[in-house]
Amino acid sequence: MIAMFTAAGLLLALALTLVRLFGGPTLYDRVLAVNAVATKVVLIVAAIAAATGQAELLDVALALALASFVVNTAVLKFFRARTFQAPLARVGEELT
Amino acid sequence: MNPDLLIEAVRQGASGVLIAAGFVFFAGGVIGFLRFPDFYTRLHALTTSDGIGAVLVLVGLAVGAASSAAALKLLLLAALIGALTPTLAHIAANAAHAAGLAPLVGSYTAPRPGLPRQEPRA
Repeated sequence: MIAMFTAAGLLLALALTLVRLFGGPTLYDRVLAVNAVATKVVLIVAAIAAATGQAELLDVALALALASFVVNTAVLKFFRARTFQAPLARVGEELT
Repeated sequence: MNPDLLIEAVRQGASGVLIAAGFVFFAGGVIGFLRFPDFYTRLHALTTSDGIGAVLVLVGLAVGAASSAAALKLLLLAALIGALTPTLAHIAANAAHAAGLAPLVGSYTAPRPGLPRQEPRA
């Protein structure tokens, strides 16, 4: 019962976060909103697992949390350096 | 009164209180995320309160969980989210700052219905 109300409230918070996801002025706002949406989806899955007693869904939530962190980190790394490559030469080193 | 029933009632009550406290933080984070003027303030509003809210909700679910294995997994999830959310906040702020996104400085009045919209002064 409590878990179902938790899932419903999280859905409301997720809908409000989606406003910023689609309307965010900068791409960093969108990345942040994607992370918030992923966190809330993880919590909704955990709440559904607690409500229905399906323990497998908790593994789904764990995998989702880790995957969303990796994806968000990769996207932010790309928009920091605009490349996925390692730098060819560090500062102060000779280019070979 | 049956002691098992009492323990169960206290458990469900504590679970409900923790989840409600988590939702207070979620509400603050989402409202700040929607209304704050620039990326850095939004980051501050969202990531701090979202992390605490998620941890509180997960601990509340773990307190009310049916089996101890499920409770342990929920606590693991809470630890994971509690560690990863501030890390991602740091990465996001670092990426935005290094890419040259300037923060908004100066006074700012949030737009309100009924009042004329005021543009932020640079």
